[in-house]
Amino acid sequence: MSETKRILVADDADAVTTVITTALEINGFDVTATDNGNHALELATTEHFDLAIIDQLMSGMLGIDVLKRLRLEGNQLPVIILSGVDGADIVVDSFQSGASDFIRKPFRLPELLARMEKHLSTAAAKTST
Amino acid sequence: MIFEIVRWVGYFILGYFIVMQLYMAFLAAYSALILRRNHHLARFDRGDDMLASHQSPPVSIVIPAYNEAEGIVDSVRSMSIVAYPKIEIVITNDGSKDNTLQLLIDAFDLERVRIPYRPDIETEPIRGIYRTNHPIQITVIDKENGGRADALNAGINVARYPYALCTDADVILDPRCLVYAMKRITEDRERTIGVGGNVRPLNGSRVELGHLIDPDVPKQLIPRMQILEYLRTFVASRPAWSELGALPLVSGAFGIWKRSAVIGIGGFTAGHLGEDMDLTIRMHRHHIDREIPYRIVYEPRAVIWTEVPSDRKVLRGQRIRWHRGLMQAISDHAGITFNPRYGKLGLVTWAGMFLFEFLAPIIEFVGWIIIPYAAFVGALNIQVMVAMLVLSYGVGLVNSGVSLLLDESFGFHNSWRDTRRLVFASLIENFGYRQLTVIWRIRAIVGGRSTQGWGTMTRKGVTKLGADAA
Amino acid sequence: MTAIEATYAAVVVVLVLGFSLLAGVIGLKWAHRRRVQAHNKRRRSYLRLLSAHLVSPTPTLTLDDRQFEDDAFIDAVIDIRNTVAGDSAVVLKDLIDGRGLINLQAARLRSPFPLGRRLRAVVSLAEIGDQAAGRVLMQHLSDREPEVRIHSARGLARMRYLPAIEPMLERMRYESPLVRSKFGDALIAFGTEASWPMVGFVRVHQHDDDTTGLPEIIRAIGRIGEREVGPALSELLHELENVEICLAIIESLGSIGGPRSLRPLRKTFCSDDWRIRAKAASAMGEIGDPSVNPILFQALGDSSWWTRRNSAGALAVLPGGINWLYDGLISHDEFARDAAAEALADCGELSAAKLRFDSGEGGPRDLRLIRYMDRPGLVFS
Repeated sequence: MSETKRILVADDADAVTTVITTALEINGFDVTATDNGNHALELATTEHFDLAIIDQLMSGMLGIDVLKRLRLEGNQLPVIILSGVDGADIVVDSFQSGASDFIRKPFRLPELLARMEKHLSTAAAKTST
Repeated sequence: MIFEIVRWVGYFILGYFIVMQLYMAFLAAYSALILRRNHHLARFDRGDDMLASHQSPPVSIVIPAYNEAEGIVDSVRSMSIVAYPKIEIVITNDGSKDNTLQLLIDAFDLERVRIPYRPDIETEPIRGIYRTNHPIQITVIDKENGGRADALNAGINVARYPYALCTDADVILDPRCLVYAMKRITEDRERTIGVGGNVRPLNGSRVELGHLIDPDVPKQLIPRMQILEYLRTFVASRPAWSELGALPLVSGAFGIWKRSAVIGIGGFTAGHLGEDMDLTIRMHRHHIDREIPYRIVYEPRAVIWTEVPSDRKVLRGQRIRWHRGLMQAISDHAGITFNPRYGKLGLVTWAGMFLFEFLAPIIEFVGWIIIPYAAFVGALNIQVMVAMLVLSYGVGLVNSGVSLLLDESFGFHNSWRDTRRLVFASLIENFGYRQLTVIWRIRAIVGGRSTQGWGTMTRKGVTKLGADAA
Repeated sequence: MTAIEATYAAVVVVLVLGFSLLAGVIGLKWAHRRRVQAHNKRRRSYLRLLSAHLVSPTPTLTLDDRQFEDDAFIDAVIDIRNTVAGDSAVVLKDLIDGRGLINLQAARLRSPFPLGRRLRAVVSLAEIGDQAAGRVLMQHLSDREPEVRIHSARGLARMRYLPAIEPMLERMRYESPLVRSKFGDALIAFGTEASWPMVGFVRVHQHDDDTTGLPEIIRAIGRIGEREVGPALSELLHELENVEICLAIIESLGSIGGPRSLRPLRKTFCSDDWRIRAKAASAMGEIGDPSVNPILFQALGDSSWWTRRNSAGALAVLPGGINWLYDGLISHDEFARDAAAEALADCGELSAAKLRFDSGEGGPRDLRLIRYMDRPGLVFS
């Protein structure tokens, strides 16, 4: 666990990316942020990340679509879907599409960090076995 | 005597250009006021409240499709994920000769169903209805060919939600366009019967799998000129029209209509070349004649992207078709032009359509002959003539400039390169491009019935979605 | 000066004017871009500062007055408030408290213009305010600017400022439809504590000549979903002639649910008005109690298309309702058969029947549904 974990953050509101980026960097992660769904997909497919936090509503491509495309390509990157909108459909849809987790905005920073740690360690456990 | 006539006709035409530009300037200035206000409001409103609210009225997206095999599946897929709480998609396969229907059936696992079909509006015979419900309801109506208007009518018959977004199979919807447009409906659900959207040329932008990635201004001049035209229309005119309460056109590429209102006036006119303008004007007339309060508005933030013709021949066909549609509408609705009974619609916006859209090519064409002749025989004072031409050119430049300035708040074409390209286009469009459009429109007028068929044959001459436009 | 010279002068003036206006436009564009970029840059740096402050275990950030007056700072604070919740929000509030931010923004809100600044003020008060801000926002529930009223209501609901409920309800009677619907959303955000005042308000005003706002209030009651108010709402149903209000109550009873909501709904099913019957059918489906299945089954033969459709749709989601729909397929009433068939197709039963049939497990009723759908021609009803 010596190397720094790489996290992808995608949200078209720069407030969200900035807050998450700053918070994660302070906690020792290496963060790449983007405001565009297509760019997020491109990054996720071309570079290595340990986890992605993707907002549902973005210009370019919706978060859930990014997730679906990733899974179609067989990419098992853990993805946390963020959404500012409440609704049973989107939660169910996220999990059915293979999201690791779903977090509503506004979110609690410690909670986000805790959930991230959990998914990172699960993923690490999976790869090591 | 003839000398005098030539002289005054010459001055009249020169004056006409100036008046036309001043009219555009008035609309641009008025639009500026509205967009400035909207800009402030938009800072704290991204439409999330509409997404979260149970009061957002559900919308049926109605798409007519004729030989759309190439892009239809991507297009429907991208429309199905537009951000909105409750939508359904209704596609009408208007007797396509290609495999549009089969592609849709395969891609979305559609099943042939036998459901009650209520022909609220008469259409060509329906062959069958196909449907799926996962993840959202998609219904495909397979019918005999009857043209775009007929296909829209069939879609509206099957649509089950109170509002229908009438659009095209080859446009790209901005993810938030429905949220913004429907907000205008919640403003006044009782009275609002129509909402138009902001149509933008897609050429030059990067498109992947039905998503717009990077809006850009293309290098080619023909689409670049059209971007300028679209900006002048959708950014610097329609907000004013809408605010005056007299929007003469809700574009066919994005128009939300109250379903019951469309049925109430018998739907789109089958076979009409400008069925969108025709429907808009008939809506106005229906409600004004019966003194029913109503509202038809334009929402600049409801952005959709469409590919415009990039070669001259296709553009020529499109413009001839548009002008024929306009002519048909002008003659069908001659009763409202300059009619004070129709308020600002009759006196300002439809009058503007008549004077500055319908008559413009005729007057300009006559001007090309009369003015040089008049100058040659000395009927016109050359200095005055040049001054008047320069004045109309100058005001025209300012209008284009104002459109570019207003476009800044949308954030699509804000790079220096885009600005440079558009400013260059606005400087040169009066030399060549404008004359071409005049000739095409004259062609539409003199073409008689021989150009009639183009409306159905090349309903849209645009190439397919996702094709590299740059 | 001769006439010719004068005209030359005019031409030059016009040309210069045209180009300089175009240049001016470009200049304005440039200035605007510069301002927006600078603002965003400052906002982002504030965002970073504030975020770092939020996650650090020992918050140490101090800010000077100049920053508090900066619009970019306010925007950053609003953005953060919309992003993070919980302890972070408290930390943020501690940082801002006592710096006169509320007073500053309240003063900006009170001044009649400019609109952009007033909006920023009301949003900041709504997002970061405490009870003191609540008092200010209360005054602006009747602001001349609709957006200010909406943000005030939203903010008051967000901070659970209970004294605002009554004035908001009162405003609902005079508001434009947009503001009414947004006030309705805000009232929902108050939660159960708003339920009874709302029911009381509806009770007092139900017989007014002008019932503007009441349907929105009733729908908000339904969305909050407090079970206890169900009977009180259904009581209103008995004596009402206003269809709009009846429809709103029926819808709300559907979302509130429970056996005590079901009883009045059964009664409305005898209404002469098809809108009421159709709405009641949907509401019964939402409640989810299968005891209404026979009633809905009968309604498949209703004279109204919407009632048939909604009844079939309700059966499709009720426990055991699918069987009733299959029974509907052999009804002697053609309209009932069509309604049942459409609902079966819409709830995925058609695909399921096909699957069963293909795997050899299909029964006669699966075959019946498949055949029904395969029949050529359409039904015009």
